[in-house]
Amino acid sequence: MSVQDIFNAINEFRDTEIVNLVQAEVDAGTDISEILDNGLIGAMDEVGKKFGEGLLFVPEMLMAAQTMKAGLEVIRPLLADSDTKPRGTVIIGTVKGDLHDIGKNLVAMMLEGAGFTIIDLGVDVEPQAFFDAAKENSAELVAMSALLTTTMPAMEEAVKLIKDAGLPTKMVIGGAPVTQAYADKISADGYSADAPGAVELARSLIPGD
Amino acid sequence: MKLGLNFLSEDEKQRIHKDSIKILSEVGVKFMSDKALKVLADNGAKVDKDSRVALIPEEMVTQALSTAPNAFVLGARNPEFDFQMPSSYTGYTLDGAATFAIDFETGERRNALTSDMIASLKIFEELPLGTVVWPNVHCDDMDQGNYNEVRPSFVSLINSSKHIQNELHRPEEVPFMIEGLSAILGSEDAVKERKIFSVCYCTIPPLTHDGEMCDTYLELAKFHVPILPYPMPAAGSTGPASLYSDIAVANAESLSALVLFQMAVPGTPIIYGHAAGITNFRLGTFIEGAPETTLINGALGEMAHFYNLPNTQGGCLSDAKVAGPQAIMEKALGTLPLVLSGVDVINGIGEVDASQLLILEQIIVDNEIALMCKRIKDGINVSDAKDYYNDVAQVGAGGHFLMQPSTMKECRSDEFFQPELCDRNTFEQWAELGNPNIYGKAREKVKEILAGPQKNPLPDDVIGKLEEIQRKADEALSH
Ligand code: B1M
Repeated sequence: MSVQDIFNAINEFRDTEIVNLVQAEVDAGTDISEILDNGLIGAMDEVGKKFGEGLLFVPEMLMAAQTMKAGLEVIRPLLADSDTKPRGTVIIGTVKGDLHDIGKNLVAMMLEGAGFTIIDLGVDVEPQAFFDAAKENSAELVAMSALLTTTMPAMEEAVKLIKDAGLPTKMVIGGAPVTQAYADKISADGYSADAPGAVELARSLIPGD
Repeated sequence: MKLGLNFLSEDEKQRIHKDSIKILSEVGVKFMSDKALKVLADNGAKVDKDSRVALIPEEMVTQALSTAPNAFVLGARNPEFDFQMPSSYTGYTLDGAATFAIDFETGERRNALTSDMIASLKIFEELPLGTVVWPNVHCDDMDQGNYNEVRPSFVSLINSSKHIQNELHRPEEVPFMIEGLSAILGSEDAVKERKIFSVCYCTIPPLTHDGEMCDTYLELAKFHVPILPYPMPAAGSTGPASLYSDIAVANAESLSALVLFQMAVPGTPIIYGHAAGITNFRLGTFIEGAPETTLINGALGEMAHFYNLPNTQGGCLSDAKVAGPQAIMEKALGTLPLVLSGVDVINGIGEVDASQLLILEQIIVDNEIALMCKRIKDGINVSDAKDYYNDVAQVGAGGHFLMQPSTMKECRSDEFFQPELCDRNTFEQWAELGNPNIYGKAREKVKEILAGPQKNPLPDDVIGKLEEIQRKADEALSH
């Protein structure tokens, strides 16, 4: 048994074995941060890389994430006692007036797989709701999705609300009609064209990782 | 005979119908509109108020099928373009709402503008099989913060005399739309009678109906506006991962829309339609130009025939990022089977990148694909009129048929399709002409049409009225 087994189980989508593998490492006295960083999160970084290279399909990537989550549950009670912290909290949603949700769901699932805590506000989300959720949860990041040109201005509103109030939360945006130029225009902190890009972005924007 | 093609056997259609009924009556459909839930509950559906899910029994489907008209005419501002549904041939819809366009002058990919839409409509007016206009881009130069769907609808009515099909998003848009149509046609009764405007109604897969759009269409139905329920599941993400079950769910979604609008206003003209895609498993994105989308949308077109309802199906679509071989390959392969199976209207002219990019030249290229498909569909005329045995006897063994009167007659007839874009020169002629290619020729054609006058313009006073109604609408509908 080793942390490598945990890493491999996630990369091979063996969701029924993961709990025992992680428990065995905990029982063996392996450092929790070692299990987390090199086993669970390390595995998902590898999965993310393979997905980015087109070697894994979405359902496989999600299955790996689910496997990782099951393993994470085993050590979660112990995390509070160690110095290891999850990667940060992300508020995500599709903006006001917009009901397209598959892209947003994908981004949410990939961020979760990469170790972020996700609060998914769903679709048709008011700018104020992004603000409230960011404040209540001291979120590090708000990620907004829009698929309609007409709903893009709702992103600008949310960015403004959060920036004007001086919240430290970073704001990132995406969706088919959205561009880097638009992100710059509305002073968002970042844009990504796809879900793996959103994970990269989140990592680069959330300090202490 | 005319060529035919079946996507499903009789048994398979029965089976899918039963599956859809089971989905409707046991899984149910979620409606975000209170009005819709009330209509459904009043007519026998079991509604759960908390989840907003309505269980729709088979009897309601049977009832809805008995009141939905089996035939009607999609009117056009210019009656020459009226389109009888079901149709004896396949017509085409200008593909809708691309975010981006290739700038015709610079070749740059940029946000689409109203001028792109107006140019498209001018070109589409010339296409012999072009039947329905869906405002084909989302116009970035219209005020996005204060947007209403009356605008692209009016721009279309002003710049095209063909049937217009758009979507409205808010109930408050309805009176302005009806006022505009009445200004064109002379009266509200004529609006009901002529049906020059219809709407597309996207259900939200899986098995959900939007609230505002639903309320809007419950209003529109009172004016006999034809409704095209248009589910867009992506098999493998928003739809199940087999073509069979994806078809059953999409069919259930369309039936749920049919039931709702028939119960609300019996006799509402329904165009049974689907624009299903598949999931790109590598990225999660929506794929339109795949062999599987042809199978799904083709099969659903057959379900429309099964229910005796006119239909529109997504087809002539592509995931190519630019004009070129991939676009032509996917569009041609996706169009022909639907035409052979007898779909009334195929939706997909002029765009690539899964309906996100408009290319003016592509409108002309797609037109040629459509015409070639029609020629194949029309098949081989084995009748006395085409029996040239006498010519064979006269010419005998050896010799040629070039001087026969029948050849003289047929060489310019429908017997032989003459392409405008595909090259049939000798190599030397082709080289002499500077190696023309399909898109280059299409470009010349676009230039020629754009340089010409606008056909079938609306009288100035009617345009003035529409502009006035638009001003009122912009004011009243501002957020
Ligand atoms: C940091 O944060 C981030 C980072 C990255 C982020 C991010 C956030 N969010 C997304 N990303 C990025 O990562 C994802 C994975 O790589 C990507 O996400 P995407 O969301 O881009 O990609 C998804 C994985 C797959 N993509 C999709 O699912 C969208 C596909 C298309 C065909 C589409 C679909 C399926 C639907 N639609 Co709609 N729809 C279209 C789409 C055309 C197209 N080809 O994109 C589009 C977006 N729709 C449009 C329209 C007009 C509409 N739709 C409507 C409805 C629907 C359905 C409900 C039928 C369905 C959505 C079902 C659902 N559950 O989501 C209506 C509006 C409803 C509403 N109020 O929102 C309706 C108004 C009606 C209609 N004409 O279809 C057009 C928008 C035009 C515009 N520029 O405004 C459209 C381009 C189609 C078209 N050509 O008409 C990236 O963008």
